[in-house]
Amino acid sequence: MSKKLAIEITNLTKSYEDVKAVRGIDLKINKGEFYGLLGPNGAGKSTTINSITSLVKPSKGSIKIFDQDIEKNFRFARSKIGIAQQEVSQDWFFPMEKLLYFQAGFYGVKKTKAKDRIDYILNKLGLDEHKNKKMRELSGGMKRRLQIAKALVHDPEIIILDEPTAGVDVELRHDLWVYLQELHKDGKTILLTTHYIDEAELLCERVGIIDNGKLIVEDSVNNLKKLVNKSSIVIHLKDDITSINFLNDFNHHISEKKVYVQTESPNLDLPKIILKFSEASVNIEDVHIPQTSLEDVFLDLTGRKIND
Amino acid sequence: MIRNWIGFYTLSSREIMRFFSVWRQTIIPGIITTLLYIFVFGVALENRISEINGVSYKIYILPGLLMMNVITNATANSASSMLQMKLLQTLPELLITPLSSLELSLSFIIGGTVRGFVNGVLILLICWMAGMPIINLPLTLLFIFLVSWSFSSLGLFVGQLSDSWDQLALIQNFVITPFSFLGGIFYSIKMLPSWAMTLSQVNPIYYAICALRESTLGVSDTSLVVSSIFLIIFTFATTIIAVQLMATGKKIRF
Repeated sequence: MSKKLAIEITNLTKSYEDVKAVRGIDLKINKGEFYGLLGPNGAGKSTTINSITSLVKPSKGSIKIFDQDIEKNFRFARSKIGIAQQEVSQDWFFPMEKLLYFQAGFYGVKKTKAKDRIDYILNKLGLDEHKNKKMRELSGGMKRRLQIAKALVHDPEIIILDEPTAGVDVELRHDLWVYLQELHKDGKTILLTTHYIDEAELLCERVGIIDNGKLIVEDSVNNLKKLVNKSSIVIHLKDDITSINFLNDFNHHISEKKVYVQTESPNLDLPKIILKFSEASVNIEDVHIPQTSLEDVFLDLTGRKIND
Repeated sequence: MIRNWIGFYTLSSREIMRFFSVWRQTIIPGIITTLLYIFVFGVALENRISEINGVSYKIYILPGLLMMNVITNATANSASSMLQMKLLQTLPELLITPLSSLELSLSFIIGGTVRGFVNGVLILLICWMAGMPIINLPLTLLFIFLVSWSFSSLGLFVGQLSDSWDQLALIQNFVITPFSFLGGIFYSIKMLPSWAMTLSQVNPIYYAICALRESTLGVSDTSLVVSSIFLIIFTFATTIIAVQLMATGKKIRF
């Protein structure tokens, strides 16, 4: 697949009076990529994605969609994007199906053409039984599904989801994940913002960590985890030993009956290390390999927890 | 220029369907109010108030009442639809679509125009049944249309700038209603002191009422040419400010 850029953000800056919400973000998302913007509330995620859809007017910087400027060629750019906003909208005048026809119409899709697409999405998101219901009659989960249906109604190439699973139940969350993976397989470019670590880890090929209006790091989930300088093996000792010279081949330190070993590949090194302990007749009580998560990456880079 | 015709058509129809779906609030009240006025002034006060410009008082006030209804409905429609979309978070879903600011604003204006016009025509029918003559029907319909369009534009302008229903109510109570009453619904401005007469001459509602009174009853305080020209200029001006405001994105894009 060619490395065509779906979204290209250059030096995006946005200030609201005294507050700088976004401070110079550069972001390139390839066509067909599943990209996650991870960061705490108020980090600048929503401002960034709302700039892409021109709901936010950037103070500085430029944004291109498939190489077209979003302002100069707004019809092209906007027709390529489908976005599910974080806030659920509440149009209570019309039933759900009608709302979807409207949304398709705004994108210039004829009613006859929209029908198949709308039927498909209603079915896919488990909404077809409820299609004649108005907003007031829908549960929170169904409203959220409708929000996503609206984003997909014109079959966009780029799908942007702003915190799609914030406040939804576990079942819907899982269904959405499965569906998003399906869309990704179909070649759609997906940009997701989330403050759920597991969501980003599970779905995204690349993750950008955003904090305080800046993109502090971006890479694949695995590479990001490698950034964290964390003990990769922890060995609990039975006796209080202060020095273990036999382990000098490995970068390690001891503290309170625990040996912390730093290694790139803990699974491969573990048998060798255990062997050395048994050769030296040092008793081990327990061994474990702590899993690094994006939470650790965030903590390591910012000194804070993501959902603090 | 309009290029997303399907989008433009869809939003315009949505705006029209929106008020029709709540016709009890958007169509019936104007009719009831007019019937009440006809009853009260026709039956109870008719003989106590003398004729104005050779027309019985009951008939004299009808074009003014009709215009007040048209103005209220046209303004309320675009203003409340815009504000409601803002407050209920549906506006962002519209602003991200490939609709230009011209297409967006004209669709909202059309919604309000249709509501003003439908109300106007229904009330015209009632007035006619109550004995009001219609000297020039095409011109009457044209005036109802122009006033619907211009005040719908004004409503959109106000709706985009408002943040709450309170602010909208302020406009209704402190601008539209006083201007309507001072525009000569219930009297000829020749009955006013000269300073108030001068003031009336910059009031667009005054020209709206004069124009309609002329095209229906054949009497008015200003010539048909003057009020027609004023209404046409006013329609263009209000449309331009509404479209321009939409293009700035003030209070809707952040």
